[in-house]
Amino acid sequence: MASPCATSAPEAALGVLPRSDGSAKYSHAGYTVTASVNGPIEAQRKDENPYEAFVDVIVRPAAGVGGTRERHLESILQSSLSHIILIKNFPRCLIQIVLQIEDTPENDYVNTKLVQASLNFAIMPALFQTAVLALLSAGVPMRATAAATAVAVVPQDGVKKTVVDPSPRDIEIAQSVHVLAFTSHGELLLAESEGDFTVKEWDGIYETAKKTCCHSTPAKDGMEMVLDEEASAGPDMRHFLRSTMESKVAADLYWK
Amino acid sequence: MPLDTSTYNLALLRVDGRRWNELRRINAQIRTQAAADGSSYLEMGHTKVMCVVTGPSEPGPRRGGVVGSAGGAGGGGGQSKDAEVVVNIVIAGFSSVDRKRRGRGDKRTLEMQSTVANALAASLHIHLFPHSQINVSLHVLSQDGSLLAALINAATLACVDAGIPMTDYVAACTAGSTSTYAANDESADPLLDMNHQEEQELPGLTVATMGDSDRVVALVCESRVQISRLEGMLVVGVDGCKQVREILDRVVREKGRRMIDEGTVEKGTGLNDMDVD
Amino acid sequence: MPREVEPSLNEKQFVLQALQENLRLDGREIDQYRPLELTFGDQYGVADVTLGKTRVLAKASAEVTVPYTDRPLDGIFTIATELSPMTSPAFELNRPTETEVLLSRLLEKTVRRSNALDTESLCLIAGQKCWSVRVDVHVLSHDGNLIDAACFAVVAALRHFRKPDTSMEGGVLTVYTPAEREPVPLSWLHSPFCITWSFFGDQGEIALLDATWVEEQIRVASCTISLNRHGEICQIAKLGGTPVDAVALLQCSGVALTKAKEFSTYLDGKLAEDTKKRNKGGLLAELSAENDR
Repeated sequence: MASPCATSAPEAALGVLPRSDGSAKYSHAGYTVTASVNGPIEAQRKDENPYEAFVDVIVRPAAGVGGTRERHLESILQSSLSHIILIKNFPRCLIQIVLQIEDTPENDYVNTKLVQASLNFAIMPALFQTAVLALLSAGVPMRATAAATAVAVVPQDGVKKTVVDPSPRDIEIAQSVHVLAFTSHGELLLAESEGDFTVKEWDGIYETAKKTCCHSTPAKDGMEMVLDEEASAGPDMRHFLRSTMESKVAADLYWK
Repeated sequence: MPLDTSTYNLALLRVDGRRWNELRRINAQIRTQAAADGSSYLEMGHTKVMCVVTGPSEPGPRRGGVVGSAGGAGGGGGQSKDAEVVVNIVIAGFSSVDRKRRGRGDKRTLEMQSTVANALAASLHIHLFPHSQINVSLHVLSQDGSLLAALINAATLACVDAGIPMTDYVAACTAGSTSTYAANDESADPLLDMNHQEEQELPGLTVATMGDSDRVVALVCESRVQISRLEGMLVVGVDGCKQVREILDRVVREKGRRMIDEGTVEKGTGLNDMDVD
Repeated sequence: MPREVEPSLNEKQFVLQALQENLRLDGREIDQYRPLELTFGDQYGVADVTLGKTRVLAKASAEVTVPYTDRPLDGIFTIATELSPMTSPAFELNRPTETEVLLSRLLEKTVRRSNALDTESLCLIAGQKCWSVRVDVHVLSHDGNLIDAACFAVVAALRHFRKPDTSMEGGVLTVYTPAEREPVPLSWLHSPFCITWSFFGDQGEIALLDATWVEEQIRVASCTISLNRHGEICQIAKLGGTPVDAVALLQCSGVALTKAKEFSTYLDGKLAEDTKKRNKGGLLAELSAENDR
């Protein structure tokens, strides 16, 4: 099945798991991820840091066992999330983020090897957004919220095209894949790239990604109808995170 | 090698010549290891196990997982109000024919550890020893069916030897049914105490009861069987447990009598009620 | 790692006294399950089971691999149950706790050893190629009775799962991608379900089904019975704990059978509903052969 939700707007729910401090479920571009956040809790001796909290990120693939790729994604997430969480507030503590992948878009043209799960950059935005939402839901103090997006440079008919939220097919033929995250203040938080690209291309990617993550003016002017589904689907990721939180708070306080 | 069950109906004798309600020979000894707090050696047919009990003692440093422990609520070693029963089972490589290598993380062994620990904890008065640990270590020397039952019996004997207060013996044995689940044979006879060959071919279960009551401490069935046969198997199993209890009791009394004879213990020191003749 | 919060003495006594008066905190009957909900994913072989606040996600997957040398005619079938800290921070990765070992053994005995999945049908070329079917059980939230929920999820995921179609022509094995040929269901023989009884009281005289997390922490013994709707027991596990009268256990197994039949009917209904939803063109004939047994 071609993932039917590839072009749909992102969807998110907060507080989906009753027994963890905070949790969120997020689905976009065929990826569905559930996250739980527990913390601040007591850290293990080996993880204990006397000055700041330890942020532990665990990425669990839907099928098969995780490998080095998952560890790689975990380390990227860990370092970027450590920058937005106020870790200095909780010395000797642990903030544990478990990201459970539930669904990934399938490539109908390939039979995948499943026992060794292999994730790639395309899932990063989903993981990142879910983690941020779950952290918000757990009430972990943060300096700013952040949103991530994946951009691929795909050669098509001799022309290089920038694709936001690339499909598995796009990733396969892409020249380079990039993950960028921006805080709500518009600062670049994370930039990871794979493949070869020029500095000029990267500038273009940076602009596209920034527009997707934190487009400062509401996307009403219609002039930037770039080939990205996000802009056409409505507000950018920052607004999406905000409106998700707002609706959750409104729902929780309906009795007031 | 499929078991030839066809002859059973002719002579009503099983492959090893027993009748349906006969136990194999049970040979048991207690106080086999002088250095241990409690020890036992038990043979059920060709299944041979050895057990050593240490404790109740101060809990040592905790290693790895806590699989195979019972008692102490929450399992936080040394912080509980009940003693923790920690069971460790070692299956010797030479114990069975196929010499299968089982690692420390073998889930079947871990499950047996947990079962033995929880079964013992039901009988031992663990509430008398807060913040402490009872270590039971079991060694399987030879396997010929009814392994779990033999382990439970050996552990019970060793706990008696260690002098840990307990409600009653936890006695265990297995019961089976004469035809496989596929044959919808309602007239199938129940069988008592299965050997390895029977265990491979026929449905069966392991029952452990508290003393000579009808109360079941552990019930483990790992094969497919019609629900209608459960009752028959359970009745025979519980009855077998009572026989096993008698045998275990005889072993303990015999040892006690010998110890008095040898002068190891004086008659009347804690053995008042014991009927020594 | 942080330990689980234990119920306080007051809480324990409150629950116990209520149980002695035949009352449960959530107002259920003693033999009543919490509302069971099953949803299938967009992909084949994804089952999301909610039992009250307990939530388990099972995902089945398959790949072609080399069979074990000692079983050249059988495919490979594994059930992976790793409890992540998502379930509770008390669980650590790569360090199996007792709960995890017992859960994985129970699922193994219930589904694998009872031959629910015909592993011989997974063989493609004897000794060289076979299917390796794997079910990953993800426990998203644990509010008691993990075993029953997980078992139901595994069975549902496997029955919903379709593996890629294959063909053998002149000794050449072709595995078709989903775009080329519609995937085919597994050869499924029977559907076992776990039913767990929890016992309370000094003599284990109070028995109830589908214990919540609080009840599970207070119970003195538990007994899991796995059976299918034909009344075949696949596994019984009362692994120690306070002794329970043998007659009571027999009665429990009787009730368990009616529950297993209910589960079976519910699952059949859900599968039929899903098939109807997915049915495009002439696929129905192929898919409906699945529920014969």
